[in-house]
Amino acid sequence: MTAALVIAAAAVGFVFSLSGVVGILRMPDVYCRIQCSSKTVTMGALPVLLALVIGEGPFSVYGSRALLVCGLLAVVNPAASHALARAAYRIGIPMWHGAVEDQPKEQWLAERE
Amino acid sequence: MLPDVYIAVALAEIGLAAPLLLRLALGPSICDRVVALNAISTQATLTLLCFAAFAQRTIYLDVGLWLSSFSYLGTLVWARYLERGLL
Repeated sequence: MTAALVIAAAAVGFVFSLSGVVGILRMPDVYCRIQCSSKTVTMGALPVLLALVIGEGPFSVYGSRALLVCGLLAVVNPAASHALARAAYRIGIPMWHGAVEDQPKEQWLAERE
Repeated sequence: MLPDVYIAVALAEIGLAAPLLLRLALGPSICDRVVALNAISTQATLTLLCFAAFAQRTIYLDVGLWLSSFSYLGTLVWARYLERGLL
């Protein structure tokens, strides 16, 4: 039973990590790649760590460290993705030529005036 | 049974990190490279934790913990540097 749960959680994590890697390689501009990267962490890394917690127990050495890394990733990764996307927008990396909307631009121009 | 699963997960995560090196090598802007490096370090953390559970060595747990925290610190430092300059 435990082994089945561990294998299921690890498989979910692997599938989402695979989709994130394909997205990082194939997406057209940097903003889409940042979105794929943060999805890789949220749905790809957390199930694998959860598999470790299920397999070893939450109070063992390995399970407790896996829970710690889980909390760390869940808190810090959105902040890092946000800061990176903001920096990419501020230094003027162009969007994909097929992008249809640029809302922050209007907001930014309004702030400047 | 369970150690086999752990080593399989560790090898699979390494295999997923390998194509990201391509994006790290030829990313058009520097932000693409930082994104790829961030994803690679996450996969490396997962690999280390699963390998620690496979080999029953607790020293790798500390390595994974420090690697994850400092890789995000590095991403934040890169973002701030790109946005506002060195100081």
